[in-house]
Amino acid sequence: MNKGNITTDYPLTDVQRLKLGCLLDVLIPASQDGHMPGAGDLDLIAYLQAKAIDFLPSLIALLDGLDEDFPTDNFERRYQAVKILSNDEPGLFQELIYQAYAVYYQSPAVLEGIDAAAGAPFPRGNTIESGDLSLLDAVLATPKHYRKAPP
Amino acid sequence: MAKANLSDPVDVLIVGAGASGAAVAWSLADTRMRIVCLEQGNWMNPSEYPTNGTDWEIQQHGPFNIDPNIRRRDTDYPINNDESPINVVNFNGVGGGTVLYAAHFPRLHPSDFKVKSLDGVADDWPISYDTLDPYFNQNDRMMGVSGLAGDPMYPPKQPPLPPIPMGLVGEKLASGYNKLGWHWWPSDSAIITRPYEGRDKCLNLGPCMSGCSQGAKSSTDITYWPTAIRAGVELRTRCRVREITLANNGMANGVIYYDEGGNECHQKAEVVVMACNGVGTPRILLNSKSSKFPDGLANSSGLLGKNLMFHPVAFSQGVFEERLDSHKGPQGCCILSKEFYETDLSRGFVRGYNMQITRGAGPFNTAIQGYASGQIPWGPDHHKAFQRQFDHVASVGVLCEDLPELHNTVTLDPELVDSDGIPAAKINYTLSENSKKMLKHGVDRAEQVLAAAGAVEISSTELLQSAGWHLLGTARMGADPNTSVVNPWGRSHDVKNLFIVDGSIFVTAGGLNPTSTIQALALYIADTMKKNLANLFD
Repeated sequence: MNKGNITTDYPLTDVQRLKLGCLLDVLIPASQDGHMPGAGDLDLIAYLQAKAIDFLPSLIALLDGLDEDFPTDNFERRYQAVKILSNDEPGLFQELIYQAYAVYYQSPAVLEGIDAAAGAPFPRGNTIESGDLSLLDAVLATPKHYRKAPP
Repeated sequence: MAKANLSDPVDVLIVGAGASGAAVAWSLADTRMRIVCLEQGNWMNPSEYPTNGTDWEIQQHGPFNIDPNIRRRDTDYPINNDESPINVVNFNGVGGGTVLYAAHFPRLHPSDFKVKSLDGVADDWPISYDTLDPYFNQNDRMMGVSGLAGDPMYPPKQPPLPPIPMGLVGEKLASGYNKLGWHWWPSDSAIITRPYEGRDKCLNLGPCMSGCSQGAKSSTDITYWPTAIRAGVELRTRCRVREITLANNGMANGVIYYDEGGNECHQKAEVVVMACNGVGTPRILLNSKSSKFPDGLANSSGLLGKNLMFHPVAFSQGVFEERLDSHKGPQGCCILSKEFYETDLSRGFVRGYNMQITRGAGPFNTAIQGYASGQIPWGPDHHKAFQRQFDHVASVGVLCEDLPELHNTVTLDPELVDSDGIPAAKINYTLSENSKKMLKHGVDRAEQVLAAAGAVEISSTELLQSAGWHLLGTARMGADPNTSVVNPWGRSHDVKNLFIVDGSIFVTAGGLNPTSTIQALALYIADTMKKNLANLFD
């Protein structure tokens, strides 16, 4: 069992790892212009080991449930296989989406690609426009005011 | 000041260190009485707030979730929402709900205190806006409130700090309101826009509702509490109160609580002040049964736990062609509209709502919420759909006035208990026909203003489930002991040394975020207590 493991603490076999990369690249493919990486480029396993270790066994079972041909199929066939998976295992699939998106949208390369600052918001902060308060002139020009109440 | 000995009665025992408990503690501190506050949660450490890490959005779904049933910290208590379309959300810790609130900080309107006289529904409050006006101002200064004077929908007031930046989101929606000729105004926000009282100004981090790492959001752990403690108030954390105890003369004489180790303790007190919100306070009082009060303490009216009011919230989101930098800046504080706040029976309902403009979500939440709604698919179309929404949205929250109804209740769950074995709160709540019509009207108007502002896609949710922030009305105030739980200054009709200062005592809810009014009310009650110290129990 688990032949092909590269490191002793890496929980996937080579086949499982290959399937995972392909699966993630179906969920979030690299953009055609190369601007955005595919989710398969990111290390979901390291993230799960650090943040959501309980999901690993379910993920491995899910990968084992995919056909052996899955990594060598063309994109359309892989896409259809994942659609079937999403219908057959909706709870598991939803958790996979959650974890895949979590690791993807923390990636500095991804955040750079969507023109958002990478890293923790604090203490960096953000700059926003103050806004044009002269727009209130229209409000002040109306006779509306608060409703008076008895004492 | 030395810690009080449990066997010695303290002068004032406050239960709960949130919005109202902090204000009362601070106000009473100048009496130099021995004041102790018991809080079931911990002090917060700003360095542990999510915006210190790259996983700031993920933590909003776990340890910083607004729903205690999801968050499940050991300092939380469970709440049974099975019989309610709206889930209670809160936070338990020093600062209470202000730790995770959006800090949107409007006051109730003068008309909100007199709905029976004006509109023939519910009841009038025994006090008025004018009664609370000086306490609103005092609270604005203590909390550090930002806003813009001159809103014609309020009597004159002057927020101590300039308003939060509207940003492109606010400007865009303001132009929509102007096209329609509808009222709008920059929101009053409990977020400091300039250095204030030793705190530094807002950095526009975005997710105020997971705690403010900068300390610019005015939660009471960093506003009232440091001052109250310097003035001699003792705040004990990890103390979960089970019940209030009674002396033979029918007066409260203290509370039984569990400390962090689960040890049962009895703290004696001359005066007990409840400040645990509209769910926590009736929960403890209902659990304080005795032969004199078999249905719960201070419940001779039978109204304790009844008339629960939330603010039902609808939500409309617009997608714009232009980038609006939506994920930057205080998420819940931007501008608001009172165009439909007051009663106009031609709309088909009584009372009204405010429209609160909110900014957009961060990248992860944009993606995961878009997946849930079907707007951002996984697969080859993911990037295009994501980029269409991220930083391109503005939203309108429709926050409706909820009228008091006896069948909307907080009771003790017969089975569910917290980690100390105290019965959990059970919520029974039904959305009224009036609220349903108001929500529908609000969604229609929200979609109208988003369209006027130029939104190219609009989607709406007619009732948000996890939006039970505002917990009101379950121990209402009034002059008549048969129709109210506390008198016009928060003292129990039944137990003369028991006070309630939180949102429980609201008679009606208004259609606005209530924290400003809750705190003004707490300051008013504390001030009235001080003025009546010589004959407090008469």
